[in-house]
Amino acid sequence: MSESARSILHVDMDAFYASVEQRDNPELRGKPLVVGGGSNRGVVAAASYESRKFGVRSAMPMAEALRRCPTLCRVKPRMSHYKSVSNQIFAVFRDFTPQVEGLSLDEAFLDVTASVALFGSPVDIAASIKRRIVEKTQLTASVGVAENKLVAKIASDLDKPDGLTVIRPEDYARKLDPLPVSVIPGIGRETLKRLAGLRISTIRDLRTAGDRELEPVFGRFTRKTRDRAAGIDDRPVVPARGEKSISAEETYDKDLASLDDMDRELLRLTERTASRLRKNRLAANTVQIKIRQSDFKTFTRQRSVSPPANGTDQIYAVARELLHTWLSRNAGARVRLLGVGGSNLAPDEQPDLFAAAPEATSTPVDRTVDEIRDRFGTDALGRARTLDRR
Amino acid sequence: MKFSAAREALLKPLQAVIGVVERRQTMPILSNVLMIARDGQLSITATDLEVELVAEAEVETESGGEITVSGRKLLDICRALPEGVEIHVSLSGEKLSVRAGRSRFNLVTLPAAEFPVVEDIKAGQTIQVSQESLGKLIEKTHFSMAQQDVRYYLNGMLLETSGKFLRAVATDGHRLALCQAGLEESLEEQQVIVPRKGVLELQRLMSGDGDLNIELGANHIRIQLDGIRFTSKLIDGRFPEYERVIPKESSNEVKADRTVFKSALQRTAILSNEKYRGIRLVIRDSGVTLQAHNPEQEEAEEELEVEYSGEDIEIGFNVNYLLDALGAVEGDDVTLSVQDSNSSCLIRQPGNDDCTFVVMPMRL
Repeated sequence: MSESARSILHVDMDAFYASVEQRDNPELRGKPLVVGGGSNRGVVAAASYESRKFGVRSAMPMAEALRRCPTLCRVKPRMSHYKSVSNQIFAVFRDFTPQVEGLSLDEAFLDVTASVALFGSPVDIAASIKRRIVEKTQLTASVGVAENKLVAKIASDLDKPDGLTVIRPEDYARKLDPLPVSVIPGIGRETLKRLAGLRISTIRDLRTAGDRELEPVFGRFTRKTRDRAAGIDDRPVVPARGEKSISAEETYDKDLASLDDMDRELLRLTERTASRLRKNRLAANTVQIKIRQSDFKTFTRQRSVSPPANGTDQIYAVARELLHTWLSRNAGARVRLLGVGGSNLAPDEQPDLFAAAPEATSTPVDRTVDEIRDRFGTDALGRARTLDRR
Repeated sequence: MKFSAAREALLKPLQAVIGVVERRQTMPILSNVLMIARDGQLSITATDLEVELVAEAEVETESGGEITVSGRKLLDICRALPEGVEIHVSLSGEKLSVRAGRSRFNLVTLPAAEFPVVEDIKAGQTIQVSQESLGKLIEKTHFSMAQQDVRYYLNGMLLETSGKFLRAVATDGHRLALCQAGLEESLEEQQVIVPRKGVLELQRLMSGDGDLNIELGANHIRIQLDGIRFTSKLIDGRFPEYERVIPKESSNEVKADRTVFKSALQRTAILSNEKYRGIRLVIRDSGVTLQAHNPEQEEAEEELEVEYSGEDIEIGFNVNYLLDALGAVEGDDVTLSVQDSNSSCLIRQPGNDDCTFVVMPMRL
């Protein structure tokens, strides 16, 4: 391996939505199952391995899936639930490296090059990640280990489900050559047709084809495409920059019923959200709150703020108003979950004229609190109001 | 209530007040206008509980009375009727009948007594000023007002009397605009904040010349214009100490031709980030270079000839803020006084302290 060799993991959850549903509902286990829209006109969002035996695939029209497998169980997607499971999984990734590039809720690239000294070889890390995901979520993942994203992604797909596949550079030709060209990103249906016309169907065909044949198909990407066929890919792992939203929420053991309790919890959550915004040097153009009642009815309320906010007081003022407006129409509500979030995020790059004054977006107090918490932990310091008097 | 008037005599006051009739109402009566007919006079009042406009028209009254009716529908009817037609309005039962030529409309009404009006504003001070002066104060500052800022006292314009000056100040925290007009006599020091909506409505109404009276009460401002009385609630809050954020003139002062500078900024701005509008000024004694780039990695650069003998400075701004200020400055030349790349910048017409613009730089 050369000095600059990287260690890249591609982690792909196995039939993610379907597996979550089977985990949560024992009656669905072992059965052909798809997650997807309610009507027959919807499409399959995820198919369990049992259903795949019948030829059911994701993105297939629901009617077609039912034709192939009449005993198919259908479940409506619960995206927010998958999102929260996904958060658990991504938290596992981040335990091993901050270099995590999420591709979707159930799939990510990890650059673990710098983690080897701490956590062992890339293969050890891959195995640990798989184990930790099972411990936390009882779900399995397939992991590909390679020196770049392209080969890692190809590898993760070779031994699904619950696989761990390593492809080393010396194995590229042997392992990649027999694969269909469609495994290379960017080769879609139209390109496949044109390649088929040139009798190019495997990666080996592509790797050994002449420039004159490939030029008309790939134009200035000919060189790059041939590189891909040889397993060459220097794209870096790009950790998701600019998160879409930052929020904090909590489910309470005992429902919140009094305004005092709700205000206090709201402030506590606001502090968490605001401090994460500041840490990322972001400010929210929209502040939202989430309320789940004891009967599980869930509400979200949001409002735009100007200027974009990342100060605790500023966000709290909006969150509190949203909560109180909601309460005025839902008097006597018992609240099981509260959340405060900021979205529509913008870089906090325009300083304020009055920044030294108390009306600033984030105050010197906020910054001092952030610094102390960074050093001594979140509980080191808090607002008196967030203390539970009971 | 029964009166008649030419279409145009009704259309004008309705158009003048309709701006405050909001389309989406929490209280149904707020989508109505109050009409009071008495002794050859018709007054039409519209309100959104913050801004109230009363417009007067001369009509032929057969019998006086008062009633409220949908402002938009009445306006739409008057507008759609042929020019010059005579409109007859009368109340029969709970419906308002509007007739003109061969057209007849019957409109639902709500009682006048339920319509919220601002009576006496208990004026403490009256300021006499020319329409032109007040119009200029608003024109040169309104663009810096905040919009839906949680610092609610910034969502409006500060009107301040101080000695022989009437001063308008607006700021959204990123930039500030101040403009002042001289007064005949010295006045009591007072600060009021007129809400954004009131300012914009007032600006729309200002057209004529001559003097007007600004009455300031504890909670309201009232201005009598030609045929229209404007009343607005005041924002109950303390405006920040704006003087503190107006920088002293610095020795790093760029002097440029205002029109040339503005056009250069407009050109460079085309390739700035559409959302954040950042632009970089590289200031040297040899000139100013304007630079912008966007997420697509497109770049714009322009050299500008200026008078400058200060230190080398690189500073970033939201280009819209600079353009707003340059648009409001008067005269051929403009000066930009810059401390350093983190401090606010002062923009003025050389030798004219009546209008001051302050812009906070962006982090580059």
